[in-house]
Amino acid sequence: MTIPKQAARRRPGRQLRRRPAPGHTRGSAWADGALLLIGACFLLPLLWLVLGSLDPAAGHGTKVPQQPGLENFAAVLTPELLFRPLWNSLLLSAGTGMVTLAAAVLAAYPLSRYRSRFNTPFMYGILFGTCLPVTAIMVPVYGLFVQLRLLDSLPATVLFLAATSLPMAIWMTRNFMDAVPLALEEAAWVDGASRLAALRSIVLPLMRPGLGVVFIFVFIQAWGNFFVPFVLLLSEARQPAAVSIFSFFGQHGAVAYGQLAAFSILYSIPVLALYVIVARGSGNALALAGAVRG
Amino acid sequence: MAANHRTRQLLRYLPVLPAVLLLLVFLAGPVLWAFHSSLTNAGLTGRYARNPEWVGLQNYQRLLQDPVFPLSLALTVLFVAGSAIVGQNVLGLALAVLMRRARPVVSATVGTAVVAAWVLPEIVAAFAAYAFFSRDGTLNQLLGQFGAAETDWLYTVPMAAVILANIWRGTAFSMLVYRAALDGVPAELTEAAHMDGAGPWQRLAFITLPVIRGSIATNLMLVTLQTLAVFTLIWVMTAGGPANGSTTLPVLAYQEAFKFGDIGYGTAVASVLILIGAVFGAAYLRLLRERKP
Amino acid sequence: MLRRASKTVSLLAAAVLALAACTPGNPAEGNKTIKVAYQKTDSFTALDTMFQDAKKEFEAANQGVTVELQPIQGNDDDYGTKLALALRSPSTAPDVFYEDTFKVRSDVDAGYLLNLDGRLAGWGEWDKFDDAAKEAGKADDGGTYAVPLGTDTRAIWYNRKVFEAAGVALPWRPSSWQDILDTARKIKAASPDVIPFNMYAGKGTGEGTVMQGFYELLYGTGAGLYDPDSKKWVVGSTGFKDSLTFLKTLYSENLAVAPAEALDPNVWKKVFGEWFPKAKLGAAVEGSYAPSFWQDGGSYAWPGYEQEMGVAPFPTQNGGAPGAVSMSGGWTLAVGAETKQPDLAFNFLTTALNAKNSLAFTVASSQIAVRSDVAADPSYQSANPFVKDVSGLVAVTRFRPATSDYPRISAAVQEATEAVITGSRTPEQAAADYDTAVAGIVGGDKTIRK
Repeated sequence: MTIPKQAARRRPGRQLRRRPAPGHTRGSAWADGALLLIGACFLLPLLWLVLGSLDPAAGHGTKVPQQPGLENFAAVLTPELLFRPLWNSLLLSAGTGMVTLAAAVLAAYPLSRYRSRFNTPFMYGILFGTCLPVTAIMVPVYGLFVQLRLLDSLPATVLFLAATSLPMAIWMTRNFMDAVPLALEEAAWVDGASRLAALRSIVLPLMRPGLGVVFIFVFIQAWGNFFVPFVLLLSEARQPAAVSIFSFFGQHGAVAYGQLAAFSILYSIPVLALYVIVARGSGNALALAGAVRG
Repeated sequence: MAANHRTRQLLRYLPVLPAVLLLLVFLAGPVLWAFHSSLTNAGLTGRYARNPEWVGLQNYQRLLQDPVFPLSLALTVLFVAGSAIVGQNVLGLALAVLMRRARPVVSATVGTAVVAAWVLPEIVAAFAAYAFFSRDGTLNQLLGQFGAAETDWLYTVPMAAVILANIWRGTAFSMLVYRAALDGVPAELTEAAHMDGAGPWQRLAFITLPVIRGSIATNLMLVTLQTLAVFTLIWVMTAGGPANGSTTLPVLAYQEAFKFGDIGYGTAVASVLILIGAVFGAAYLRLLRERKP
Repeated sequence: MLRRASKTVSLLAAAVLALAACTPGNPAEGNKTIKVAYQKTDSFTALDTMFQDAKKEFEAANQGVTVELQPIQGNDDDYGTKLALALRSPSTAPDVFYEDTFKVRSDVDAGYLLNLDGRLAGWGEWDKFDDAAKEAGKADDGGTYAVPLGTDTRAIWYNRKVFEAAGVALPWRPSSWQDILDTARKIKAASPDVIPFNMYAGKGTGEGTVMQGFYELLYGTGAGLYDPDSKKWVVGSTGFKDSLTFLKTLYSENLAVAPAEALDPNVWKKVFGEWFPKAKLGAAVEGSYAPSFWQDGGSYAWPGYEQEMGVAPFPTQNGGAPGAVSMSGGWTLAVGAETKQPDLAFNFLTTALNAKNSLAFTVASSQIAVRSDVAADPSYQSANPFVKDVSGLVAVTRFRPATSDYPRISAAVQEATEAVITGSRTPEQAAADYDTAVAGIVGGDKTIRK
């Protein structure tokens, strides 16, 4: 029999900013130094992107542009090269985010609220699903799409992307839902609300920050995904920026480095901005804590 | 009564259905399909494109004779061990530990730099890494300052280049996981150890690490399997070359299936990859399960 | 803060979905549409121009018919992959498409191409096509499935300035492999920063590696790739090893580009766009279409290339008969087997390949004409000073074995060249690996030792 689980677990993402660890002052100077050094190494590969995009005469080399200018950006700001692919990326990522979120919330509710022998194996199965190397199933997925005549269809690609991000999303969503105290929901039942109504009016609003995190997490992954649309979407008109930028690289790669860099930056800005929004809201950890702790 | 109960229980789990359906159709289905195609001679073109024949284990036999396969297997292991198990995992932990000691401004800034590489679309990250290691790229320019000769990193040491690139790209994940995990270590524990005269290394080894063991195992599993699937980064940087010097299993599977049009053989490679993933996954899950009562 | 953010996000997302629903789906459900797939790159736009013109012409002549052009951006390899992916599913297969001659047979075997025999018989202009070129569109059953667009040959293109600086007598006409090596070494000595003689190798340049490199060597040794009499693939030939050894010499003495650069799929762009015009490269084996890049309106327009460049046939190993080797490829147009409007599709094909469009395309892309009326046209003959030289090579040219196993064999050859120039295998080892690979691809009983 299933019993509603008692009380919440830990609240992920809410327990940052504890007291500083012991030894804070003594060790901080060299910790600062070491961190800055590592940070610099992480920024180095990005340096070329930024400098190259501003240099109309850019090559592979990283150098401060002699005559910095926005010509590269102007050159790629065309409907065919930039706007249509970005629009396709947006459709793909937003669609994937929403399908994933809807399916994940529905799945997470019983997993969070009822106790059953079914839960543990299911969650382990899900965890296992997070690990499936997506590249390994692209060949059969392509075959499946051929068979079902779904090739070159944006909605079908959205469904597939949603399926690949679902395991992680269910895992995260369940942990967020666990953090919503059952007592609040019970109060609503007493007032005669159905489970569904209580879910909608009590649980989901409380989970909103968490759901935002899940949505954005999925969105960012779909936005950056190259291989899946590369194989499943064929016509130029449906291709997202990841694919169009790849063919741009293949053709102009040896010639127009500056434009490639500018294109890359314009394509990356939306997800970087999204990340900043989440990071400011829930601490730097993207609430991954909740996702990853078993 | 009991039957009634069961129906109610089933009904309660009804909302799981959409997710389960999606997972079955788009993940479980293709996995089974992969095993099935790997036993046929399906091709992208040629006479077996539309009507593949059943060839049994022939593709797997060919795999065993193919000199590229053991090489590719070894490179995959090297790639995963070097960039995920050692690289991302250790560097991520080190960053998280350092961040707790450093000034908040510094740790926030560096955190952003590390995360930026992770949030970037994979193809952009791959271009940036390609440009960084290319002949007249940033790395050679930097080393040139110290008088080092120009080296074609992507050509002479392709594996080192893609491993470093993958560490650069993926460390943020481990860092975030470990930051969260370290935040969960009760301060009293480490403080008590401090009072007892334990040095920072001892506290890390004997207090912190054992406490976050679960996070370590989970993180290891996730980064291992993510790294096992890395394709775009390698494809853009080296396309598996030179002379197959960086052809990991995903690259090999892609080449065989899509470039040479041998879908049967390509899926055989992919099936091996799935099996390796499953073995890794099962091993880590065991670790996790043993930890819990 | 985040609450507001996530609300914004969900609003945005809802808006996106609503808009997506309004985006028009497949255009013109009721009307007849013909989908045309072809390759387009920044350095290859002649075909795009041709189809744009043909589309206008065809739509004007056939009211209610829409020609949907689907240019695929990518190099030959990527184009091949994308086309194959699209062909496999009837829902995405184009009605008319641009098809490499060497893929015709395997795609016919796969059932992707429509037999055109009946329709060609009724097309008055079909006799104007060259008989040798027509062969390229035939399959094993003797039927014709594709119509040739043009053909090409391969030769040595060399920069006169570089050769003069090294004191090589012009016009240059090497008589053997040794001759090439001697000249290349001479250039190296005279100008150490110039690449003396480049031949493609490795998997990066794909078919370019074999068509503009390895096969010129192999067919000049007397050996071959395929034995048409026994219908078996040749393994274990001395010629194969000799050819690999020649490449090894070229690359290990730095007479060709650095191996790291040779593996870059874009290396050919540097050959045409950078090294030849800047006199950084002495000579290279390249296609008869080379002038299309340099002529006015080409992607690497180079005024005065006519004076600066020279062309010479590629010699046989020791100068034996017939004294020169060349390879021919070329592309065709084909009709998809499952097209819903086979007649319309074929009519569009004939519009695209009529005399006017063929001539414009042949000149713009420096192809060798396959239609007699195009070949006789003065504007074709005077398109560039090299037309006569490269067309003359048709007499000695070779074609790739047109069997459906060829694409995989070619990949094995490319692999062997890559192993040799990178030094990971000796020519003997690489040749042995190739033999194993061939046996694996076609089966041991389909190979023959020569």
